[in-house]
Amino acid sequence: MNCQKAQVLMSAAVDCELTVKEEEGFLLHLSECKECKDEFEDAKKTKMIIKEKIVQFKAPQSLFNSIMELTSASSVER
Amino acid sequence: MDNPDPTRKVTPKTKKESLSKEERQKQLEFQKEAVVHLNSLYNYALHLTMNPSDAEDLVQETYLKAYRFFNSFERGTNCKAWLFKILKNNYINRFRKNSKEPGKVDYDLIKDFYHSIKDVQNDTSEAESDYFHSLLHEEVHQALHSLPEEFREVIQLCDIDGFTYEEIANMVESPIGTVRSRLYRGRKLLREQLEGYAKKYGFNTDKDQ
Ligand SMILES: [Zn+2]
Repeated sequence: MNCQKAQVLMSAAVDCELTVKEEEGFLLHLSECKECKDEFEDAKKTKMIIKEKIVQFKAPQSLFNSIMELTSASSVER
Repeated sequence: MDNPDPTRKVTPKTKKESLSKEERQKQLEFQKEAVVHLNSLYNYALHLTMNPSDAEDLVQETYLKAYRFFNSFERGTNCKAWLFKILKNNYINRFRKNSKEPGKVDYDLIKDFYHSIKDVQNDTSEAESDYFHSLLHEEVHQALHSLPEEFREVIQLCDIDGFTYEEIANMVESPIGTVRSRLYRGRKLLREQLEGYAKKYGFNTDKDQ
């Protein structure tokens, strides 16, 4: 595997979306290419940051209430 | 979907309050399958609209539509993905119809949001010297939103909402290969942005050494 092929697989490797065979080839390339290995580590880190730092808001209670209402009201009409 | 449901009987007016057994079952199932994803959907809507009241409207519309067409939801598939797809379609229709400018970002509003939760969200306990840990929620948010839509979208669906590539491909109506490469390029762009912030704080990034 060359660097170009490794880059194509990079994101899928981060997200554990590689097939067993792809993963084998990818890991083999990383073991002999520092550049791709560094890039892989960076990509994993970037994913971690997003997961950690993007705040998930809680939906307002009023929204929850109105959805519960919507779903039960629509069954009554017609 | 357009065919009237033959099993559904016209309920006489007098029996208005008592729902049929099937209706009640449908409601319960809907709550268990769909309403549990309310927070994720709300956040997705917030990211799309960058405006809380638009986000609420969008989520409401989505649930209303989802409930109407709940029979067409394929049981056993990912209900969250199904809801996201409906919301996305609603979003596109709504902004086309109103010819409202999408991506009109209200940064002040977002900032307010972050300030209001800052104290609660003090998660990273270990004080790593890693510059990434010095980044603020707000900065990561801004960096994410500075990306072109096509990149931001896949990153969000993958990293925040945890969808598989197959689900994402279906949502953005592109092949999996496209999802892969958008994620690759998107993360790279994002990293550049974040390194920019890091430099601002005087942290050395690997690339300077
Ligand atoms: Zn390489």
